[in-house]
Amino acid sequence: MQTLTPKQLFISFSKIGMSGFGGVLPWARRTLVERDKILTSEEFSAILGICQIVPGPNVMNLAVCVGSRFGGARGALAATLGLSLGPIAIVLCLALLYEHYSYLESVKGMLRGISAVGVGLIASTGFKMMCDELRYPAMFIVVALTIIAATVFHLGLGYVVLLVAPIAIFLARKKAQAL
Amino acid sequence: MSILLSLFLKLSAFSLVAFGGVNALLPVLFNLAVNQEHWIDVQTFSDYFAIAQAAPGPNFMTITLIGWHIDGVVGALLATFAIAWPSSILIYFLQRFIMGMKNPMSKQVIQYSAAALAIGLVLSSAWEIALHINHSLAAYILTLGTIAITLLTRWHPLYLIAIGGALGVLGFI
Repeated sequence: MQTLTPKQLFISFSKIGMSGFGGVLPWARRTLVERDKILTSEEFSAILGICQIVPGPNVMNLAVCVGSRFGGARGALAATLGLSLGPIAIVLCLALLYEHYSYLESVKGMLRGISAVGVGLIASTGFKMMCDELRYPAMFIVVALTIIAATVFHLGLGYVVLLVAPIAIFLARKKAQAL
Repeated sequence: MSILLSLFLKLSAFSLVAFGGVNALLPVLFNLAVNQEHWIDVQTFSDYFAIAQAAPGPNFMTITLIGWHIDGVVGALLATFAIAWPSSILIYFLQRFIMGMKNPMSKQVIQYSAAALAIGLVLSSAWEIALHINHSLAAYILTLGTIAITLLTRWHPLYLIAIGGALGVLGFI
């Protein structure tokens, strides 16, 4: 199997981190599959599938998976550092600007506008993921139950997972048999 | 308990329950940072959320900024490390296990159920965060407009962020 040096991984993931406006995952696919040709499209989807079922920041998980696969523990470390160092530096510069100018009405307004768009972007990620479930609509029961448990009854996350997981696994089993 | 230690411990625990990624759990983070620990107030949380959205990079930058608010660069690095290390170590070992699963069926079942759960969490997260940070009808309309445009067109999110910022500067939101 192909191996990559920690330096190569660091550079690839730096590119991903620095270009990831409004979500890094699409850029991860573009960089790893299309530009740097480290992974095939199927490999990428399989790895991403695993990263999304494990808790934690999804992109960070992706960096650990891809990094460790091509360069062991050092590769994983290089990939995660590459992914996060540049963006951290940028966001801290923005934080400094915020500290100096947050009293301005126009800055406050700008941030209100951006956060309203940001919420919309998160919601549309959810809706896009939901389109994949159209193949087996019974899974919508799980989605609906999760939403009701979390927003109507304000259950803590642990309870939501405990409550919904058995139904999710039951339906997922049926879905896997049906497709 | 020193505030840095509590930041580190609380965010490390948060990392291990963050199913569906950080955005799915923004309400939990909000509750922790604003209501329980009083690290920041509501306004600062929503401003940091906006800055994190406008900056490039992974979406856990809201957490980096909360750390920065508490103790400058040290706090920022500590918070980012805290959110990343438990789940990173978990997936480092889990990925071999899942990749090596002999039965493709059980792999599918795990993926399908986790995906459905994640969708529910992401959508409830967007709903609850909207309730916290949108304070006007115009802000809700902007949120709904964003959803419609991203679902119906292939516009780059950066344009939407720029439009939102511009509308805000002009005083509409």
